Amino acid sequence: MEATEIQERVVKILTPYVKDQEALASVKAETNLLEDLKVNSARLVDVVLAFEDEFDIEIADEDVDTVNTVGDCVTLIGQKL
Amino acid sequence: MAGPTLSDDERRTLLRQRAVSRLLSPLWVPVFTAAMRWGLGWHIVDGDRVRERFARLRAESDAPLLICANHLTMYDSFAIEWALASPGYYLGDFGALAWNTPEKANFASTWWKRVIAYLLKCVPVERGSDRKSVARVLEKIRFLLERGETALIFPEGGRSRTGRVEMESAAYGVGRLVSSLPGCRVLCIYLRGEHQETWSKSPVRGERFRVLLESFEPKTDARGLRGSVDLSRQIVAKLVEMENAWFDDRK
Repeated sequence: MEATEIQERVVKILTPYVKDQEALASVKAETNLLEDLKVNSARLVDVVLAFEDEFDIEIADEDVDTVNTVGDCVTLIGQKL
Repeated sequence: MAGPTLSDDERRTLLRQRAVSRLLSPLWVPVFTAAMRWGLGWHIVDGDRVRERFARLRAESDAPLLICANHLTMYDSFAIEWALASPGYYLGDFGALAWNTPEKANFASTWWKRVIAYLLKCVPVERGSDRKSVARVLEKIRFLLERGETALIFPEGGRSRTGRVEMESAAYGVGRLVSSLPGCRVLCIYLRGEHQETWSKSPVRGERFRVLLESFEPKTDARGLRGSVDLSRQIVAKLVEMENAWFDDRK
């Protein structure tokens, strides 16, 4: 699966968790989930679980520690596919 | 927990903190207890029963024992430690005195608060910090639990803003910790003062705390992150159940 397709699906999953919807319009690989998109840190786990469901992958506990940006999400999912 | 590995220096720092705290405990443990009992006039209802159950749990197995409690005031950890054992018991079994993970901002501002946190076996956590540093704190707690120490964690991650245990606030870190420690027992504690209507900074003077305890070993068939989330939710669900029992008892 292409990285661009993964990113599109990642953004779709992120949308309900994003507090700053304007930032979502100009999302890039470097966009930080917590600082730029204002995703609640307690909800980050739900986001990652949604990745598991959407892409039918299994994500380990420690993988969550590496997820800071949209690009990190795409990389992690790409590795698991 | 296949997360960060502690360096020898980090391990030594924790063990040094324990040794200093232990060495000075004949001074500070009775002082803190006296401050709560006589200074603030707090009282643990049916305290002997609570202490007897905790002592039995400590004695019956060497498996790690993680204490998970509801969280309503900034002084909950003090009250819980006091409820669970007498100063004499802690001096004899210092591992029973639980390690805490307070928010660094709550005590880092003054030197005396930092000293208290050090003596009280605290491993500070920075709210909003990157996940790797939170994982490192969990790894420190895991290291301590494996060595027979006890640790106290508030699985909601902060004080319950509604005044009731919030299922949706379940932080998954506690599940991650449990899943990394085979055979880990979880001691759920529901502690609430009779005057505690909702969350606050501190309990009122003369507060009477009613305490419920239940130990269990959470299990899950799910793996990875999903497994940790499942374990965390089981623990918070247990606290919700205990909260209902606490209010039913008062009727």
